[in-house]
Amino acid sequence: MATYLEFIQQNEERDGVRFSWNVWPSSRLEATRMVVPLACLLTPLKERPDLPPVQYEPVLCSRPTCKAVLNPLCQVDYRAKLWACNFCFQRNQFPPAYAGISEVNQPAELMPQFSTIEYVIQRGAQSPLIFLYVVDTCLEEDDLQALKESLQMSLSLLPPDALVGLITFGRMVQVHELSCEGISKSYVFRGTKDLTAKQIQDMLGLSKPAMPMQQARPAQPQEHPFVSSRFLQPIQKIDMNLTDLLGELQRDPWPVTQGKRPLRSTGVALSIAVGLLEGTFPNTGARIMLFTGGPPTQGPGMVVGDELKIPIRSWHDIEKDNARFMKKATKHYEMLANRTAANGHCIDIYACALDQTGLLEMKCCTNLTGGHMVMGDSFNTSLFKQTFQRIFSKDFNGDFRMAFGATLEVKTSRELKIAGAIGPCVSLNMKGPCVSENELGVGGTSQWKICGLDPTSTLGIYFEVVNQHNAPIPQGGRGAIQFVTQYQHSSTQKRIRVTTIARNWADAQSQLRHIEAAFDQEAAAVLMARLGVFRAESEEGPDVLRWLDRQLIRLCQKFGQYNKEDPTSFRLSDSFSLYPQFMFHLRRSPFLQVFNNSPDESSYYRHHFARQDLTQSLIMIQPILYSYSFHGPPEPVLLDSSSILADRILLMDTFFQIVIYLGETIAQWQKAGYQDMPEYENFKHLLQAPLDDAQEILQARFPMPRYINTEHGGSQARFLLSKVNPSQTHNNLYAWGQETGAPILTDDVSLQVFMDHLKKLAVSSAC
Amino acid sequence: MTRCLAGSAEVEMAELYVKPGNKERGWNDPPQFSYGLQTQTGGPKRTPLTKRVAAPQDGSPRASETSPGPPPMGPPPLSSKALGPPSVGSCPVSRVQPTGFRVIESEALMEDVLRPLEQALEDCRGHMKKQVCDDISRRLTLLQEQWAGGKLSVPVKKRMALLVQELSSHRWDVADDIHRSLMVDHVTEVSQWMVGVKRLIAEKRSMSSEEEANEEKSAAAAEENQTIPGFQEAL
Repeated sequence: MATYLEFIQQNEERDGVRFSWNVWPSSRLEATRMVVPLACLLTPLKERPDLPPVQYEPVLCSRPTCKAVLNPLCQVDYRAKLWACNFCFQRNQFPPAYAGISEVNQPAELMPQFSTIEYVIQRGAQSPLIFLYVVDTCLEEDDLQALKESLQMSLSLLPPDALVGLITFGRMVQVHELSCEGISKSYVFRGTKDLTAKQIQDMLGLSKPAMPMQQARPAQPQEHPFVSSRFLQPIQKIDMNLTDLLGELQRDPWPVTQGKRPLRSTGVALSIAVGLLEGTFPNTGARIMLFTGGPPTQGPGMVVGDELKIPIRSWHDIEKDNARFMKKATKHYEMLANRTAANGHCIDIYACALDQTGLLEMKCCTNLTGGHMVMGDSFNTSLFKQTFQRIFSKDFNGDFRMAFGATLEVKTSRELKIAGAIGPCVSLNMKGPCVSENELGVGGTSQWKICGLDPTSTLGIYFEVVNQHNAPIPQGGRGAIQFVTQYQHSSTQKRIRVTTIARNWADAQSQLRHIEAAFDQEAAAVLMARLGVFRAESEEGPDVLRWLDRQLIRLCQKFGQYNKEDPTSFRLSDSFSLYPQFMFHLRRSPFLQVFNNSPDESSYYRHHFARQDLTQSLIMIQPILYSYSFHGPPEPVLLDSSSILADRILLMDTFFQIVIYLGETIAQWQKAGYQDMPEYENFKHLLQAPLDDAQEILQARFPMPRYINTEHGGSQARFLLSKVNPSQTHNNLYAWGQETGAPILTDDVSLQVFMDHLKKLAVSSAC
Repeated sequence: MTRCLAGSAEVEMAELYVKPGNKERGWNDPPQFSYGLQTQTGGPKRTPLTKRVAAPQDGSPRASETSPGPPPMGPPPLSSKALGPPSVGSCPVSRVQPTGFRVIESEALMEDVLRPLEQALEDCRGHMKKQVCDDISRRLTLLQEQWAGGKLSVPVKKRMALLVQELSSHRWDVADDIHRSLMVDHVTEVSQWMVGVKRLIAEKRSMSSEEEANEEKSAAAAEENQTIPGFQEAL
């Protein structure tokens, strides 16, 4: 292994994990002194085109409290056909099917290159995927038309044997019966009254008399779909009728008087959707897809009243405890989200409106169930249409990039305990000897449920080293962690992905350099940021910033090289060199700052931050900036105002926005039309290069980002100016030698000032 | 009429274009990619733009090494002097942008599209409920009306002609893919009747797989005595 960078990259590609530390401090005390916890970002279903699944079941450790999966770290006695569990040291007999194994004839799961392996489980009934559309009809004509077309289009993208259902809502909620016959029927519910799951099932006629069901069950365990009834039907059977039904959808017919908002019963509509699936298809892959064009305005879950003169809550209202409906609405949606998660279903929210729609109150529906949250201005935009299409994108095998009902189980060797997880999951409250009492994120368990996930869904998982200081780990000892993800593949197969990793222990006193060199600053930044954002959801902003600052100072004190009380002597080694600037940009990011964002926007940004993989998360923390010029090929440049030069084109990717910015001279050349003259063809190429690169990003990104084309002096240049480090501001503009770059009108501190303070504090013996 | 090679069929058949987003309804709406571009898997993977520069440890921006001093006030350098830099990777998109249709040059005729579809419907009649047949038939009529009324665009007509060809040569997956591309790229024009075509493709496919299954059954019966037991799968 040449370098740690290569090691880290290989491990991410093979196992979908990135650890904050790749050599682990061997005692609890030393681990806490490392400041950044031992943790990892895990992408459970990372795409592995080179890893075909095996068609048999995993072999488990026979100790009932362990049940770890046989893996390459286990010691095997080929003669006696025994294997020793590397987690609990139990000796296990191989099952009869393994009678033929030997050193030269190993099953895949014992080979070192299969530290990640996927099993296909043949047992059990396979149930089809379910898609339940919940559609707001209080939309403008243009929006409703676009939405109807997108929904019709989606019928062509869904798996043909999937079940679909349709609920529409405005002032009332309609559950549509789907049949092949020509007549369409629907059940109408009032939008003001919440109903229990039982009531909903009774009213829809889903409750079956107990006796016949029990009789039928043992005989036909696979005949589940016939309960599916009239509301959820195979797409291939009813696609023509559903296309017509969607085509005929009208705007909510109830009149909306001047100065009022339409009455929108989102809370009841979602409740009915959850109850419908709960009663018919518990514990099988299902997506509730909510399409809404405004805030819920009546019934349980209402976020704002129908009087337009009273605006929807802002951060200011929330701080002043003046958001009347927020707590009650949040409670309603949390109750729904928890029920949905318990059923193994997920909820997507597609909210398209110019004003807020209540994502703040509804966020738990997506965040606890692994559903998607999409925020746009209108359903008639490319942003919505393409984002929606990409939900149904397929992988290299032609399988949908979606998986359902996953359970993630984590097992650790005995020197480690599990502190918690942060991501689109809920706790399964599985206690055990490897669960720590100190919680980070959602803790107190070794298992989590992820109801909806895709190949990029990523969880942060936090650990605690529990080995005592005076109980040294033998020389060359390694700690191990196993991740077992059981899930329903989009082909409806049940699958189990198992990843087993090991890292070396090191004594932090004698081998600190080893630990330091194996620090993954990118993973650490994202993992600390997730902790910060998790806290920000429950605490006040400044407290979180103060906590992050304190952690950064402590880290610099521990790993910086300096003479006491001499800030100029301060140095960080390569493996830490980017970390302070990540923290600097994180402090300014919309994940921790709510200024200039609505509560809905903050919820939206945080939703995506808590589930993307390392690369995307890092782009969110510190946007990428590339510079294009005649002086050479495009190059990454500092995210700094000094990079804004007249003869450059800049391409900035913030994950949510792609910005192309033409420097002053470039913009003038473009206005003069040089790109159209044959002798200046190179200028035309220069203008085209960032467009092509932006297109490449746009083609792959989910959700579709906003796309901003601007130039020096353009009003939209603010997107660039607000992200770069303000190294030149109106305050220091007239200092000597400031000829290049663009001054930023801000009182924010620059990275330089930030670093000066950091060094001063790090070298000071006072703290 | 068509001259596409089997291997490159999918690529040739996809429409590859980018059109601007809806700036009136969406603030900074991104451009819209065609179905062909969204599903394109081939082509060289370009270097992802994910590199970062470390700020010097004092946090101050270093003087840009390539900075040319004061920006030139004259025209951009002439092409002969310096070639424009390429984008970071090689970009397949810009080159294929306005390919248009190489497969069918002439305007597709309504009859050429409708007759095979109606024939397919006839083939399936015994296979489906009458009501479903009527429903499909109604949608084919709708297609005919819209075509005759000049309501369909040239790309839709051409792609329908292609779809019908694939259907006739029993290439269900390709036909289905064309149907999907039409739904994604031209949903406003085709949504009302396309679902009938979609159903036809599905019915024809299931009919032919039933036939194959019957044939295989008889073939398998003949071969039964020759099968060799396989190795244990687990090892």
